[in-house]
Amino acid sequence: MNTNFINLQPYSNPHYFVYLMIGLIPIIIGLYWGHRLKIYELVFSLIFLFLIFDGEKWQQGVSLIIYILFQLLVTYGYLYYRRRKNSPNRTWVFYLAVILAIVPLVLVKVQTAFPQAKIPGVLAFLGISYLTFKTVQVVMEVRDGAIKELNLGTYLRFLLFFPTISSGPIDRYRRFAKECDTVPKRDQYLNDLELATRYLFQGFLYKFVLGWFFGTYWLPRITRAAMITGTAVGGLKLSWWVVAYMYCYSMYLFFDFAGYSLFAVSISYFMGIHTPMNFNKPFISQNIKEFWNRWHMTLSFWFRDYIYMRFTFFAMKKKLFKNPVRLSQAAYLLLFLVMGFWHGLTWYYIVYGLFHAFAIIINDCWLRFKKKHKDKLPSNKYTKWLAIFVTFNVVCFSFLIFSGFLSQLWFGWQ
Amino acid sequence: MNNKRRLWQIFGPVLCAAVLLLVIFLMPWERTFSKDAIYQAANSQTNTIFKGSLMKQDAFKDGYVPFYGSSELSRLDPLHPSVIAQKYHRNYRPFLLGGPGSQSLAHFLEMQGTAKQLKGKKAVVIVSPQWFTKKGQNPDAFALYYSPLQACNFLLGIKKDTVTNRYAAKRFLQMPEVKGVIKLGMKRIARGQKLTGFQRFYLENQRRMLNNEDKFFSTFQLRDRIKKINKQAKLLPNTYSVKALDEVASQQAALNTNSNNFGINNRFYKRRLNKRLLAKLKHSQRHFNYTKSVEYSDFELMLHQFAKQHTNVLFIIPPINEKWSNYTGLSQEMYQKAVSKIKYQLASQGFDNVTDLSKRGGEKYFMEDTIHLGWRGWVAVDQAVKPFIAQSDLPCNYNIHNYFYSRKWQKKPYQISLTDENPVNDNSKESLKGK
Amino acid sequence: MDTKKEVLAILQDLTGEDLTDRMDENIFANGLMDSMASVQMLLNLQEKFQIDVPVSEFDRNEWDTPNKIVAKVENLENE
Repeated sequence: MNTNFINLQPYSNPHYFVYLMIGLIPIIIGLYWGHRLKIYELVFSLIFLFLIFDGEKWQQGVSLIIYILFQLLVTYGYLYYRRRKNSPNRTWVFYLAVILAIVPLVLVKVQTAFPQAKIPGVLAFLGISYLTFKTVQVVMEVRDGAIKELNLGTYLRFLLFFPTISSGPIDRYRRFAKECDTVPKRDQYLNDLELATRYLFQGFLYKFVLGWFFGTYWLPRITRAAMITGTAVGGLKLSWWVVAYMYCYSMYLFFDFAGYSLFAVSISYFMGIHTPMNFNKPFISQNIKEFWNRWHMTLSFWFRDYIYMRFTFFAMKKKLFKNPVRLSQAAYLLLFLVMGFWHGLTWYYIVYGLFHAFAIIINDCWLRFKKKHKDKLPSNKYTKWLAIFVTFNVVCFSFLIFSGFLSQLWFGWQ
Repeated sequence: MNNKRRLWQIFGPVLCAAVLLLVIFLMPWERTFSKDAIYQAANSQTNTIFKGSLMKQDAFKDGYVPFYGSSELSRLDPLHPSVIAQKYHRNYRPFLLGGPGSQSLAHFLEMQGTAKQLKGKKAVVIVSPQWFTKKGQNPDAFALYYSPLQACNFLLGIKKDTVTNRYAAKRFLQMPEVKGVIKLGMKRIARGQKLTGFQRFYLENQRRMLNNEDKFFSTFQLRDRIKKINKQAKLLPNTYSVKALDEVASQQAALNTNSNNFGINNRFYKRRLNKRLLAKLKHSQRHFNYTKSVEYSDFELMLHQFAKQHTNVLFIIPPINEKWSNYTGLSQEMYQKAVSKIKYQLASQGFDNVTDLSKRGGEKYFMEDTIHLGWRGWVAVDQAVKPFIAQSDLPCNYNIHNYFYSRKWQKKPYQISLTDENPVNDNSKESLKGK
Repeated sequence: MDTKKEVLAILQDLTGEDLTDRMDENIFANGLMDSMASVQMLLNLQEKFQIDVPVSEFDRNEWDTPNKIVAKVENLENE
């Protein structure tokens, strides 16, 4: 073990931010005076990427490079196919390209779930789940003809944009490409700087203060209490501590992830890139549908645009379902199952997906019922609060499933 | 102009906050702790307290005696030193320092913050032969106990190049947790050089910040065991007598060890020794060897620190649960050889207060579990602690020998022990100096 | 053919409401439309106007009021 390497995991400690801010200063000054220092930006990004994958993590770094080369091959292969004159645009070629783009992620997920079954050459690296969203998205838009040209440099910068590489937010290629070579107007950039600073400090508050209290301070205590009481009562091992765990974990999950996302957005803004926001006050949602428009937004919008809408479009065109309600229900089931599998191949992620699918299906039924009986149902301050309360609890319960704590409680593994 | 104002509006508050934070952390703050907080800290065995300075400093000025040890300190049964001191209103209270995995090197570092406060005072060390494995201090455990503050104290407190300083710095450099400028400083000390001017400046400021951090946050996350101590104290007889204590100890131990034949605490047995593990552990410790170890030299660091402070120290060497060692195959003969080396190291340098319990592991209810003192073992400890504390505080002088930092000593298979009945004579000291 | 009229007819079909006087209302924000309805809308528009709108081109922000939809359709028709 060589301990002389500095290895910096993104946004993990105060030092990281100090180095990051020092590195950003030339970029900020450049953008302020109307210049994008492309070469400096490149070097700066490569250094920070290197710092994620050096030292003990070098194998992950190698994995990343191989993965990127493979993805380039798939994307450019498909792009070449689509740009030939009178491209037949066959469906099976499209499917093949999507499958190839997903294969590495699937292998990694299988490997993680079954560590005993060694798949040679497969090694997970930080960010693979999120990179896959980016490449699949590009393949799909190439199919639609929305992306006709793919500049290699821009594409690489899009994939490896280091502020978001580890866990998103998931940007869109066409949006990114529009911005990454231009300089924002000074007025606009000042607005960006203002927001970037605010997001950075909001992120500190979320991740290092609130997230710390919920995740590092309370959660282990609650876990211990829940385990001990659980063993004492036997049976399903449930106690009020499990309820406490549910709320505490939900808060931790939100503040930790929202804090991280704020950092990623903030650093992007400093670099003059408007990476989309990931959270928009999710806990004031009045129903599950609204919740998914506010929670991990770039992920749910990705699923909405590339799975849900495509599936419904396809199914409607082919008239696979007579009843549009059934169709939307099937599409929800598909979407959330895929999301569950994407999180990992364990029962609780998949149950989490199914839970949300059923929640949103029930929610849709209710919305239809409400629309029909608009005049008879009360709608006021109190019903609004009731809706928020119910939604919040349903969501927290889903996070209890997601946390894997039940697995630990019942089967002793997570 | 307008843009400049906007820039100031955006970054001004950030700059102000950064400056303010720096000022707050670099200012020499004063803080005193309440008696309750110190009492809680003394019994909480948390890492924050172990690594800090101020709580310990205040406590040692106020009648607390450090009990350096490891995991046995957390066996809070009714006969635990903290409970006895509380029940019988002793004029001292133990300050528990150490936990699972804390060995000599961690202790040596931890002691850096309280050299002044312990000058000419007393201390108790429970030295476990289990520490004396081939490689000594476990680096992962060291990471838990490593305190950058105390590392700064160590580096900035060095006045000249000595064998002790070089040895200590070399050992710290073997711990991956030691990083940054501290690591660079250690490298220089290990080579026999002085810190550079910049290193000194940097470390002094780092120390100031860490000291403030210690002041602000050391009362956070204390483990409150006072209620438990009071509860346990109720089980003790109202008037002190060894016989009465022994009776309570046997009675409590009988109640708490009835689930197994090893005399191991039921809870420990249930939680830590399931059937599969038990089967695995059988005869698993036959090859354990505590006689050849770098720990002997790390232990010398502690002794050196005590000598520097002229602290009067009582050393207690605990036994191993004999039924357990018979089961795991750990050799009692080897154990005794290690004990003989420890005792020689102590006696030859003038550390005369040694209570050797190492042969009493077969006595009923002496141990709480596998290797940790409990019940009647604690009673035996108190029989040593009570008269030791009753001695008047006199600065002690010791004869420290660098020989104990040598490979030769680390690897020596055993040493004829110089027991209390057979104190070191001047000749043997002379012979040491020659080496 | 009156594009505006046709679009409004399609929207009425999907939402059950006449939007003639609410041309600038955000029909996603007020819950009248959702992803499912937008897919249906795209298909209906395709049928009516013989225009091709792949899902990739559907950016919610560009389709969220009746006026915007009409403008989009007119644009695509002239292509």
